[in-house]
Amino acid sequence: MNQVASLLIALPLISAFFVPVLKQINKSLIKPYLVLITLIQTGIAGWVFKEVYTTGKPIIIYAGGWRPPIGINLYIGHFAALFVLIIAVVSFIMAIFSLKAVTTEPIDKYAMLFLLLMLGATGMIATGDIFNLFVFMEITAITAYALTAYNKTGEAAEASMKYIVLGGIGSSFFLVGVALLYGATGTLNMAQLAELANSINPIVAQVGLALIIFGLAVEAELFPLNAWAPDAYQAAPHPITAMFSAFVVKAGIYALARLLYLLQKASGWSSILRLLVIMATLTVVFAELSALRQKDVKRMIAYSSIGQVGLIALAFSLGTQAGVDAGVFHMVNHAIVKTLLFLAIGYVGIAMGGTTMENFEGLGKKMPLTALAITVAGAATVGVPLFNVFWSKLRIILATLQAGFFWAAVLVLFASVVEAVYYFRLIHRMWFMGGGIRIKEGVIAGILVILAAIIILIGVDPAPVWNIVVKAGSDIFNVANYVKNVPLVGVGS
Amino acid sequence: MISAYYFGAIALILIGLYAVLVKKNLLKILVGLSIMETGVNLLLISIGYVSGKSAPILSEGITPSQAVDPIPQALVLTAIVIGVATTAMALSVAIILYEKYGTLNIEEIRRLRG
Repeated sequence: MNQVASLLIALPLISAFFVPVLKQINKSLIKPYLVLITLIQTGIAGWVFKEVYTTGKPIIIYAGGWRPPIGINLYIGHFAALFVLIIAVVSFIMAIFSLKAVTTEPIDKYAMLFLLLMLGATGMIATGDIFNLFVFMEITAITAYALTAYNKTGEAAEASMKYIVLGGIGSSFFLVGVALLYGATGTLNMAQLAELANSINPIVAQVGLALIIFGLAVEAELFPLNAWAPDAYQAAPHPITAMFSAFVVKAGIYALARLLYLLQKASGWSSILRLLVIMATLTVVFAELSALRQKDVKRMIAYSSIGQVGLIALAFSLGTQAGVDAGVFHMVNHAIVKTLLFLAIGYVGIAMGGTTMENFEGLGKKMPLTALAITVAGAATVGVPLFNVFWSKLRIILATLQAGFFWAAVLVLFASVVEAVYYFRLIHRMWFMGGGIRIKEGVIAGILVILAAIIILIGVDPAPVWNIVVKAGSDIFNVANYVKNVPLVGVGS
Repeated sequence: MISAYYFGAIALILIGLYAVLVKKNLLKILVGLSIMETGVNLLLISIGYVSGKSAPILSEGITPSQAVDPIPQALVLTAIVIGVATTAMALSVAIILYEKYGTLNIEEIRRLRG
């Protein structure tokens, strides 16, 4: 029965290759087909989530029946189950949004790439093999390059090219890191790597891990390798932007955290942590300061998203249980908030014909529900109490202080103040400037209101989500458990 | 004893990185990326190489103990395919860029600022 979980990978893959067949039959079926497939994926992910959290045991799937470390295994533990569900739900919402938002041809290519992007992110989170991780990362990256350039404007091609060049360098670095770790341990299986971590030569371990971190930092949008992100966010089709922010980045951050904690027995581990703390803090500060002077709202939110991701990376790089838990909590909150924001901004972009600041004037009168949702999400991102992000930000800052990084906590708080300035500027513009007559809001507004309600619900009572998040966090932090759960067979030399 | 192949591989990676970072022509940058990927592939292969042993194909007279490590070779096959896909993707984006901007000089392709 557990083999059903392998459908999480198989379903998007096989349905992506059925899209050209469907195109031959009837082109107008493609977008509803996308909604259907993502709905089924959500169903499977929901079942896997329920199964993992009720039994408390991870689902482990052996590819081709070969047991690890000979074969590749998928590891769907507490973290992966939670995030696969988030990926599926966000994809489902974006598939619905695509019905309206994406009118550029060729729509069949869009549907294929959409499904493959979902597949790549799911695979990155579910895999238990470091080279398999690389393959899924490249699937994600190549589909993301293509989707960034999908609008076929000069700007889109420019953003895509920046992404390709940085992504190419990143993937080469990552592969060199993998080669070093493989050369030192003779294995690619993550559980076995964790077992052998303390026997690696300290220099090899540090260089290998640093290269892997730099490679993943491109996907995870960490400074200084995140120059592609605002351009790509601005130029990509609206649903894709939301997907980038909600889970493509998260998959990168997760892979980073997973590999980091797997190798925690390696000597010199703490110096890698310090490197990552610096990178993450710089990400937060630079992103928030850049967001301040943006004229385009989509680009501004993109910078805000990078800042929040930097905050998650900071939480993961503390090396404490509290930090990892807070980081996972922030990942969940950020996924909800940024899905809402990019969905709302894309919706406004379609209704008003653009996403510059001027388009948002008088939105409170034209599209009150959308404006209300943006206000809730904006206030949440800033960290106003009684909204979900407040709790995770608080926990991240407390964990940072506990770990002894006083300067990082101060810089992050300063960045939060900067964030408040530009979010409240946007909110002010929406409600108190300009005017207009009310436009009819459709299904999307309903989704927005539901997401806003979830934000407030988590904000009022964070305990249920926090309980789930703690389990997911210990899945990453508690490597001994991870190793124990993967039944490794001995291989004679 | 460090094999000479490592030096070759690292040199290729650095040459590629230099081209990516310094060159102004987009096509040269993409060539640089390709060189970098080749360097990484060579590094992977040389990690699995054992001096004096044969290719890991089970045939007459070749037992598992006489072959080099097969895993890096499988990895490199995958990495080459991925590299080809990335290069094809990048070149097709370069074509669009040339159509829209009329140049391949990266200093002139700068509409997205801020």
